[in-house]
Amino acid sequence: MNQEQLPWVIKEGPRTDRDITVYALSTCGFCKRALAFLDHKGFRYRYLYMDQIPVDTKNEIKAELKATFNEYVAFPFVVLDGKSHLVGFIEPDWVRTLGL
Amino acid sequence: MTEKTVEQTRTFTKMVAAKQGWVLNPDAAFYEILAEGLTTNWNRHGYFLCPCRDSDGSRETDRDSICPCLWSKDDIATQGHCFCALYLSPEFAASGKTPGSIKDRRYGD
Repeated sequence: MNQEQLPWVIKEGPRTDRDITVYALSTCGFCKRALAFLDHKGFRYRYLYMDQIPVDTKNEIKAELKATFNEYVAFPFVVLDGKSHLVGFIEPDWVRTLGL
Repeated sequence: MTEKTVEQTRTFTKMVAAKQGWVLNPDAAFYEILAEGLTTNWNRHGYFLCPCRDSDGSRETDRDSICPCLWSKDDIATQGHCFCALYLSPEFAASGKTPGSIKDRRYGD
């Protein structure tokens, strides 16, 4: 599906070297922590609250992510540069993966 | 369906924690996100769906993820906190460690 038409929120930041896409839930503490982490580190990224889009659309996105990354989708689910991913928020893992 | 307030949700979480011998997440800001998330989910779905899980679309299929979720007891015993980190074991809380995401056992071990 064409995800570009979805209600993405773009967060600007001075670090633009990584293409970061976050699939999150507006109700989730770890998702909020993950977004705050990216803000604090100054990354430019985009996020989508999956609980605020139609269920059919959400399920389609989840199926695409599962097929692409061979992993069930839990939140936050982050796609880096379109080719790798992180699931959940464990700060040391994010620090290492983002090369901080 | 009668809507719930965040205060009513806080009361619910306190009752669950007291009954199970668990500790509510002592990080006040994090706890508030979860209490507000649970409230949103109640008012959206009619039940306290785990704030860190999305709905499959019906109460029947979400049943295992209604707070306290099916895996909470085991996750708290083995990992120190439940999936969303609303509830902590007394030992984990006393350790001062910060909870991090754990595997979602909804999709199997």
